[in-house]
Formats: sequence, structure tokens, C-alpha cells
Amino acid sequence: MKPIELERPAKRAGKWRAVAMTLREKRTKRLAYLFVLPALLFFVLLNAYPLVTVLLDSFQFKNLMNKALSGFAGLTNYKEVVQNEYFRTALKNTAVWTILSVAGEYALGLLSALALNQQIKGRTLFRAIIIIPWVVPIVIAGMTWTWMLTPDYGIINLWLVKLGLLKEPYYWLGELNTALLTVVFVNVWRSFPFYTISLLAGLQSVSRDIVEAAAIDGAGVRRRFWYIVLPQLKTVSLTIVFIHIIWTAINFDFIWVMTEGGPLYSSETLPIMIYRYAMQDYNFGNASALASMMLGFMISGFILYYFFSVRKNRR
Amino acid sequence: MLISRSKQRFLTLLTYAVLIGFSVYCLFPFLWMLATSIKPDAEIRTVNPTFWISAPTWKHFENVLHGSAFLTFFKNSVFISAVTTGASLIISIFAGYALSRFVRFRGVKLFGIAMLLSQMIPGVLLLIPLYLVMKNLSLINTYSSLILAYTTFTVPLCTFMMKGFFDSVPFEMEESAEIDGCSRVGIIFRILMPVSLPSLVATSLFAFLNAWNEFMFGFVFINDEEHRTLTPGISLFKGLYQTDWGSMMAASVMSVLPVVIIFVFLQKFLVEGMTAGAVKG
Repeated sequence: MKPIELERPAKRAGKWRAVAMTLREKRTKRLAYLFVLPALLFFVLLNAYPLVTVLLDSFQFKNLMNKALSGFAGLTNYKEVVQNEYFRTALKNTAVWTILSVAGEYALGLLSALALNQQIKGRTLFRAIIIIPWVVPIVIAGMTWTWMLTPDYGIINLWLVKLGLLKEPYYWLGELNTALLTVVFVNVWRSFPFYTISLLAGLQSVSRDIVEAAAIDGAGVRRRFWYIVLPQLKTVSLTIVFIHIIWTAINFDFIWVMTEGGPLYSSETLPIMIYRYAMQDYNFGNASALASMMLGFMISGFILYYFFSVRKNRR
Repeated sequence: MLISRSKQRFLTLLTYAVLIGFSVYCLFPFLWMLATSIKPDAEIRTVNPTFWISAPTWKHFENVLHGSAFLTFFKNSVFISAVTTGASLIISIFAGYALSRFVRFRGVKLFGIAMLLSQMIPGVLLLIPLYLVMKNLSLINTYSSLILAYTTFTVPLCTFMMKGFFDSVPFEMEESAEIDGCSRVGIIFRILMPVSLPSLVATSLFAFLNAWNEFMFGFVFINDEEHRTLTPGISLFKGLYQTDWGSMMAASVMSVLPVVIIFVFLQKFLVEGMTAGAVKG
């Protein structure tokens, strides 16, 4: 009997506290939802809703130039996009643009991060200088490089000719086989600092003890790099490479500012194609279909990435 | 310690060589831009270009300032970026606070996931429907269209940055304020804001930079000179001036100026901020 009697008042108090908590908790909850409401409104109205519209519009005839044609289109838009004579070029260009950019950025980022990780004087200054390209508007970066690359009086051409590497100035952005590669080069220049910073953070978290232990065991600089430092950068690397594959594939600004997809579609990528469909042909149905396809690519990328990271975490 | 002396010296030298190489690579375009902008045309159009300018001139700057709509573009950009910054800051302070303190509610947790996803949705894919939305609201060619779009795209990043800052403020400080009878909003503005002021500045500069640098929406939503922002404006100079690279570079120098100033202030926080949204978020 006694234990029960002893327990009762305590229980009651607990119950009272629970009631009080829920009242307080309820008010807090309302407050919490109120706090996120504005951000949520922006998300729903200008992110989620448009995204759903893209998906829906991709199955509709929607052409601002030809309003007579409307209604359900089935897969016609998708068919039209895929059968567009430049679709394959754009797809291939997007792949080349993305892979080369990300590879170049990673290489430069890793090299600069390794250099910045050494104990030397003036590290902060060097780090600041290396970040600079990343904070400047893409338009300005593109414009400045366009000027340096012009065939008439562009400094890069003049120097290459002087060094004997080129016979005469070359129109880097205007020739079919170099236009895309040149934009890749400039994109690498602007984007690699992000890798530098992320990889530097990763490098600084590599435990010195392990490195020292390996050194005592007789592992040379190269061995220590390949077997200790690099594996520890795996997670950071995977994340930034993944993010940048998406960021690069969807980038519109760089290519548009430097070549507008030309000459003769030789640097046209899928985002440029979306823009052309929408803003030059006013064919919003086709544009939406292409955007939906890109979304599909992205989501498959996500799923792949997710499986990768889950499998790694399990190990 | 870990390697021999001579090897160490070699490594240091190599490091300096690499870093100096990178510095030249990163800075050269800006230096060349600056040099071009103050060179007279005769020195720009030469087969032996140098950094040595025998007759520096402000002609290109004057040309851009008086002979073009540059000042209008600049003002528009400042206005739009400032309003965007203010709006996203206020929105993300509250959202970030909720994400930091109220994650125990399922709705808030879901909201966090939504923010994370929205960071991943690329602008190009939303270009068409956003254009149509703006058109239906007859917001094309207004400041509001850009402010709305930019705010949408900066809020998630700012929210995660604010959440990170709030996470580092001990909860006890809030509790004591609450006991003293301070309301939640009061707590945020009287206790948390002053403590995280530097971080607040960093976040707002980030938002400003994002809006200042944006190109695509400004290019698509605005068709008249009066409302055009700087980045599309400059890209259109290209067609206007054809080969007047002096003026082009003068315009570039002036548009980079605010960025440089922000950069100097932001340097310390930049690393943190760059990784807050993308990697941590």
C-alpha cells in the first residue's frame, strides 16, 4: 500500500506539469510555425509551385507565339525536344563542359589547398588572393577574359605569338573546336577557389598524430599523401564534386556571356537550350519538357549520391 | 621533423612557387582590367601591351558615366541588392532561430528539409514558370520581380548561416532573459542579435553579394533600361561598344568595386559562409 500512496502525489504533480508543458509547448509551437512562415511562403510560392508548374507544363501545348495550340500534349513536347537537331550536341556539350570543368577545378583546388596547408609566412594573404575570382560577378569575369582572349590586341594571343606557340592570333571563342574549351578554362579559373577552401578545411582536420606515426614507420611524403591524407579527404571531395556537377551542369551565365552558345551551337548546353526555347521561341511547353528532363537527371544524381554516401556510412 | 632539412627547404620553396603561381593566375585578369581601363585607346590597340601606361586617362570612366546608362544600372543594382538583403535577413533570422531552437517540432524539421532541397533547385529550371508568374502579376520590368526572385534564392543560405550562429549561442542566456520576462522576439533582438552581430553582418554581405552578382533573372525579367541591373547591363555593353574595350573595362572596374570592399570586410567570415550553405547544409 505504502508505495502506491507515496507514488500518487508525485504522479499528480507530473500530470500537472505535463498539462502545463503542453500549454506552454503549444504556444511555443505556434510561435515556431509563425517564425518559419515567411520563409515557407517564399519556398512554396516561388520554388515549389513553379517546380510543379514546370512538370505540368511539360505535358501541355504552351506556345506564346501560337496561342491557338493548347491543351494536353502527352509526350509530344519531350519528343520534339529529343528530336531537335541540336539536342544531342547540347547533351554532349553539357557532359564535356561539366566533366572537364569539375576535373580541372578539383585538380587546381587540391593543389592550392595542399600548398596553403603548409606552414609558411603570408598564408592568409595567399588565401585571400586565391578566393578573389570566386567573389566577382560571372559577367565581369567572362568579360575580362573575353578581352584578354580577343584575336585583335588580346594579351593572351599576343603573348602566345611572341613565345612562338602560335603563328598568328587565334579566335579562341569564335572557332568551333575551341569555344567550349575556352569557356571551360575560364570557368575553372572562377570556380576552383571553392574547392580550395573546402579541401583546405578537410586537410586541416587530418590528424597530425596519424601523419607523424606514419612518418615514424617510415612512410615517405608521397606515401603519406596517397595513403593517409587523400583517403581522409574522401567525404569532402565527394560532396563538393557532387554539388559542383549540378552547379556546373545548370550554369547559364558563363556560356551565355562569353559565346551565347555559339559559334554554330558548338558551345550550346542544355540550360542555354532551355533559354532559347523559352525566351526566343516562346515555346514554353518544349522548354518545360527540357527542364523536366534535367530535373530527372538531377534527381537520379541525387539518388546515386545518396546510395554512395549511405553505403560508405555503413562500412 | 617529419622530413629532412633539405627536403623541407625544397618543399617550402615549392610551396611558395605554387602559391605565387596561383596568385598571378587569380589576380592577373583584374590587374589587366584595371590597366586597360586607364589606358588611352592608342595604348590599348598595340601589339606590345604593357602594364606601363605612359598617358593614363579617365576618358573611359567619363565615357561610361556620362555616355551610358551605367549610373542607372548601378543605382538599380544597389537598390535591389539592399532590399533583398534586408528582406532575406529578417526572414532568415526568424527561420534560422526556429531551426536552431525548435527542431523538436515535426513541422519545423520538415521545413528544414524543404529549405535544404530548395537550395538544390537550380534557377534555370524555374526560369520559365517564374517568368510566367511575374508576367501574370505584371511584375515584368519592375524591381519587385527581381527582389522576390533573389530573396527566394538567398533565404535558404541565410537561414542555414543564421541557424549555425544561433546554435553556438548558449541556451542559458535565453533562459535567464525569459525568466526576467523577455518575450521570444525580444530575446532574438535584445539578446541574440547583439551577440551574433559580426555573423549578422557576414550573412547580410553574403546576401548582398549574391544579389549583386546574379545575372540570369536580371537578364530575363527586365527589358527596359530604366530598371536594368548592372550585370545584364554590362553584358549588353558588349554589343553596344563592340570593341571599345577601354570603356568595357572601366565599367567592369566600377562594378567590381563594391564587391572588393565587401570582400575586404568579409574575408574573415568568407570561409565559414562559403561552406555553411553548401557543404554543411
